[in-house]
Amino acid sequence: MIVCVAVVGHQNNPLYLQSFTEADDALKLHHVVHCSLDVIGERVNNPKRNAPALNETFLGLLYPTENYKVYGYLTNTKVKFIMVTTDLDVKDADARNFFRKFHAAYVDAVSNPFHVPGKKIASRSFGARVSTIVKSFGSGTTA
Amino acid sequence: MIGVGKAKQYANVLDKPLSRGRQEVSLSAFAFLFSEMVQYNQTQVDNIAELERRLEDAGYAVGARVLELLCHREKGNKREIRLLHILGFIHSTVWKVLFGKGADSLEKGTEHEDEYMISEKELLVNRFISIPKDMGAFNCGAFVAGIVRGVLENAGFPAVVTAHFVPIEGQQRPRTTILIKFAEEVPDAYMFFSPVVH
Repeated sequence: MIVCVAVVGHQNNPLYLQSFTEADDALKLHHVVHCSLDVIGERVNNPKRNAPALNETFLGLLYPTENYKVYGYLTNTKVKFIMVTTDLDVKDADARNFFRKFHAAYVDAVSNPFHVPGKKIASRSFGARVSTIVKSFGSGTTA
Repeated sequence: MIGVGKAKQYANVLDKPLSRGRQEVSLSAFAFLFSEMVQYNQTQVDNIAELERRLEDAGYAVGARVLELLCHREKGNKREIRLLHILGFIHSTVWKVLFGKGADSLEKGTEHEDEYMISEKELLVNRFISIPKDMGAFNCGAFVAGIVRGVLENAGFPAVVTAHFVPIEGQQRPRTTILIKFAEEVPDAYMFFSPVVH
């Protein structure tokens, strides 16, 4: 199940950070998200020889830590979505599907004329949609 | 024979599924809104350069959002990293979504390496506007120039974009050209770089 999602702007400034566990290690999750930004930067700037095409948005598994897996997604405006999950077997299609829905919610939140780009996303409906998407992710992976 | 193969007839109009709508806005509504916007800005500024800058800033906000929306909706979530591709994207997709048709032409400037021009016989926003003589070279297409600048800057290609009138013989109204001048930071590699996957 997903424990944390984050939206990070193009200057690596956090735009939205939401954790879905009641445990006190919310700060630890924020650190994990922060470290994964480095991995994204390195993937974007030095493409590996057998890496997927440079202009793909879904970055895939960024790195596995002791009990989390971190997935990344990069949009056209260099805004990054990070997803931290504790599932051990996450199918690629599920992760892509999740990011697609998340991207749709993000586009709707940004289209708000009162939203200042670069500031934190303050829309309550965006938070509600993200919670729905996160809940439906868990049920997709159960057999 | 009636009924076989035809679409279901709904007894009650409330049972019909909601259609997606025609995704269009009436031209008169837009022209009215745009003229009010120009008039509002006119009362707030003292000179023409400031008016142009304000229209461009309004367009910039639109451009930033249009880029995010279109990349998600139309492009199948692929990012644009090459200069020619992003220009082609603006020239066809963005123009089609905003104005209902592609732009007339996209040209590369001859004097400088980093200048490009998108021309249009008549910009939609200028259709119901005529510029008085004492405003000189002011062009309400600055709004569209702002949209293009918003798209380019948020995609990672900073540029200075302006709108100009180009008089053509044989035509009463001059053609409008959007001039795009890329900043020096845009690396030349982006123009020709094509990622080779071994």
